[in-house]
Amino acid sequence: MAHIDVAVTGVGYSKHVSKRRDVNIAELVWEAVSNCYEDAGLKPKDIDAVVTGNMPAFEGVNMPELWGAGHWGAYHKPLIRITTGGTTGGSVAHAAYYAVASGLYDTVLAIAFEKQSDGNSTMGLNTVALADAAAQFQQGVDPGFLASFGGGAVGIAVYQAASYMKRSGCTTHHLDKVSALCRNNAALNPWSHLKQPGLTPEDVAKTVLMQYPIRFGHVCPATDGACAMILTTHEKALKLQNKPAYILSCASCSDEAALMGISGSGTTNMDPCAQEHCKLAAKWAYELAGIKDPRREIDVAEPYAPFAHQMLMFYERLLLCEEGEAPAILDSGSMNLDGELPVCPSGGVISTNAIGASAMERITEVALQIMGKAGERQVKKEVHKGVAHGWGGAVNLNVVAVLSDTPRRS
Amino acid sequence: MAEMEYKKETRSVEGSWPMEHWSWKFESIALISKTREAFKEKKLLGLKCPGCGLVYFPPKPYCRCMSEPDEWVEVKQQGTITTYTFTGAWAYEGIKEEEGPAGEPLIIVGVNFDGSDTLTVCTLGEAKPEEVFVGMRVQLKWPENIEGRLDDIAHVVPLRE
Amino acid sequence: MRREVAIISYAQTPYEADANASREMQVLKVAREALQAAGLKQEDRYTVVTANNDYLDGRTISNMRLVEPAGAWMKNESKAEMDGAYAALYGLWRILSGDHDVALIIGESQASVYARWLPGIMMFDPTFDRQRWLLNEASAAALQARAYMNAFGISGEQVAGVAAKNLDNASLNPLAHNKLAGADAAKVLGSRMLYDPLTEMMMAPYCDGACAMVIAAGELAEKAERPVWIRGVGFAHDSYLTERTLKEMNSLRLAAEKAYAMAGISDPSSQVDLAEVHENFAHEELMAYEALGFCGKGEGGAFFDSGVTRRDGKLPVNVSGGATGANVVCATGLARIIEAAMQIRGDAEGRQVAGVKTAVATGQTGPCAQESVVFVLGGE
Ligand SMILES: [Zn+2]
Repeated sequence: MAHIDVAVTGVGYSKHVSKRRDVNIAELVWEAVSNCYEDAGLKPKDIDAVVTGNMPAFEGVNMPELWGAGHWGAYHKPLIRITTGGTTGGSVAHAAYYAVASGLYDTVLAIAFEKQSDGNSTMGLNTVALADAAAQFQQGVDPGFLASFGGGAVGIAVYQAASYMKRSGCTTHHLDKVSALCRNNAALNPWSHLKQPGLTPEDVAKTVLMQYPIRFGHVCPATDGACAMILTTHEKALKLQNKPAYILSCASCSDEAALMGISGSGTTNMDPCAQEHCKLAAKWAYELAGIKDPRREIDVAEPYAPFAHQMLMFYERLLLCEEGEAPAILDSGSMNLDGELPVCPSGGVISTNAIGASAMERITEVALQIMGKAGERQVKKEVHKGVAHGWGGAVNLNVVAVLSDTPRRS
Repeated sequence: MAEMEYKKETRSVEGSWPMEHWSWKFESIALISKTREAFKEKKLLGLKCPGCGLVYFPPKPYCRCMSEPDEWVEVKQQGTITTYTFTGAWAYEGIKEEEGPAGEPLIIVGVNFDGSDTLTVCTLGEAKPEEVFVGMRVQLKWPENIEGRLDDIAHVVPLRE
Repeated sequence: MRREVAIISYAQTPYEADANASREMQVLKVAREALQAAGLKQEDRYTVVTANNDYLDGRTISNMRLVEPAGAWMKNESKAEMDGAYAALYGLWRILSGDHDVALIIGESQASVYARWLPGIMMFDPTFDRQRWLLNEASAAALQARAYMNAFGISGEQVAGVAAKNLDNASLNPLAHNKLAGADAAKVLGSRMLYDPLTEMMMAPYCDGACAMVIAAGELAEKAERPVWIRGVGFAHDSYLTERTLKEMNSLRLAAEKAYAMAGISDPSSQVDLAEVHENFAHEELMAYEALGFCGKGEGGAFFDSGVTRRDGKLPVNVSGGATGANVVCATGLARIIEAAMQIRGDAEGRQVAGVKTAVATGQTGPCAQESVVFVLGGE
């Protein structure tokens, strides 16, 4: 059976800042969606189906598209809501890819967003931990003690970072360098949240240590923002675009939840930096895309890295080098905008994290690099293929998409 | 539901989720009660999966192989640190004290107790932050009064063999 | 459709008000049973799509704790935060793309865990409706029932009759939660008033449960015993409650049009042998008759009175008891697909209808069926 090639024919972003007090959820999303329609040269009537999602805990609203989607052009259209936590944006884009590849819908609008400032500050934490914490108190755990176990404000990422540093030889200096690289790239990206041109690793090293080994400068901000993309068939894309980007393949892979709670003791806890499932998702995505040697064939990577060590860790888990090689590759300058395999040219999640949207923004950014439409953050080398990643859950969910300037064509 | 603040610029309100009205269910509570009782005899009880042989400590009612762990096995009280962190900036790489609260740093470690296949989070005593490493061998340290609480197994110390 | 995709196995828990099991163990049970019935093991290659909702589970990322019980460990997994029929739809896309051949679909929630009305209330526009506490799923349904009944002269007895039929049908379904053999319209009308014109017995009460289904294309479908083929699908989103006409179920009509076109159905009332409809309130089933094209606009009441949709009628609807019999949010629509497939396969035991070749199943999400999905299923 012939594969139906799926092309990205338009992307759009809202303004991304920490608190969008001037708009509500529906209005915030409309900014991204209207930009996307304009970018694609399409109108709502051209859309055959809509896929949308966010991480609902932050806004305190169950299925916000019920009252918002009318504003986004979804009136009387097929619409499906996909949510998977931190990977939501990726999962939404993947569903849109499958909708087109299924042959049932030609042109699909994918929307992902988060308006974190809508929720009150304790809500985010409660929704992750309250159930387990309540059960643990019953079983005899001191609440204050339990809170410190979770890794404090930084969460399980501190354990992951420590394990990764042990396994790879990555030092805290490498973490500082990652932050500096990303925040400088973000300064070239008009929609990014934290722009810090000229930031040096030394500056990052001076920020407050939150919990070993993670400093304030190694952590993403909380962002309000939305992202939209329009996917369509190869044939239709060619009528709209000279050079569309193709989503060659999508894959996700789920491991056990690494929960320390009452129903936890997932074996992924053993080494939260192993991320074997990320390697598996990457392997599946490369196989479907016909990529035999990702290290040579991938030109740009957008790993999902809200914490500095994750950019290096996921570079390895996306099979772009051997395990433990990423810190040295960072030192070589290869990950810079003008490097051999630029990483996070958008500035990455560490600079902008509207959680539900972040994993989709990895895909749209790779698409823009392929289309040559990334503006100031366009990498210097020619881009033919790129990989876009998303991560979330209790360190247990990963999504990977491979994009290209040429269709899959079996 | 919490009092909602109307924002000036647009028709927008603060979100809320009144979670106190939810009541969750956990099979693991019954399993963990049995494990807690065993603490009083200074024993660690884990659950072994009949499908793949993994030993879960603390016990868990379902396994990734889709079997239901059902065989109680004793887990050793020595283990290996698989990951760690610690609170407080003062303890790390000569960071100045004013960056963190004064006092003893709390070293939090993930321990894989021998005979189990999972990780338990504990605090490490009798060691300084710069002494801890992944792969370090540790020994459970029981409190003076064992009450059958999960806190009873909250502390490990370096294993001196 | 590009590929022939079949339902090859399914499993359901008993539906109960307060199950003596966590959601994880309920999911484990149905996932394992459905995989086994399909001849699959955890280590085999398949994709998983679950349907659940963070607000129902009371914890964010409600799928992340279901990885092991849902058989999704080291699998390509995703989640539709809607009715389970949408998870089936997404699983179908995955298979049609050619990237996957087998999908395990799961829907679940536990009403005994969530605060009964809150997840529903939290669906409404937070900037206006939610501030005033007037709308919940039942009061919204009552507004719709009144609008529909007024517009087309539908009587309370007709609405009550639907509930009585489904309660009586549910009495033959050993898994059903809400059942009453010999129920009649008078009894339904005499039950406690919920929101006028809806009485308590006209509502499909929320309960605990999970269901799972395996769909497949290619080799597994071809060698399956009595496969049930997915002939057509459609889904549609309607405007927010206060921005649409309440007297018609347009989301379902649009979804059905698409599904029928795909399945080659031009005259549903004669070509469809049986329907399983997701009705959260009894009047919705009458509206569904119209939206599904079984009768004309406004004729739902008369169509019901003709007896066609009874167990022994020409086009039985909700022989399982429908959502009235068991309403597990995020599983109800998937259970409709499973029940319809059971009828085609001849697995429905005491509630089996003879000669079912083509069946329709529907699912819905949002207040007053704001979003609907339709599956058309067929036997050999
Ligand atoms: Zn096992």
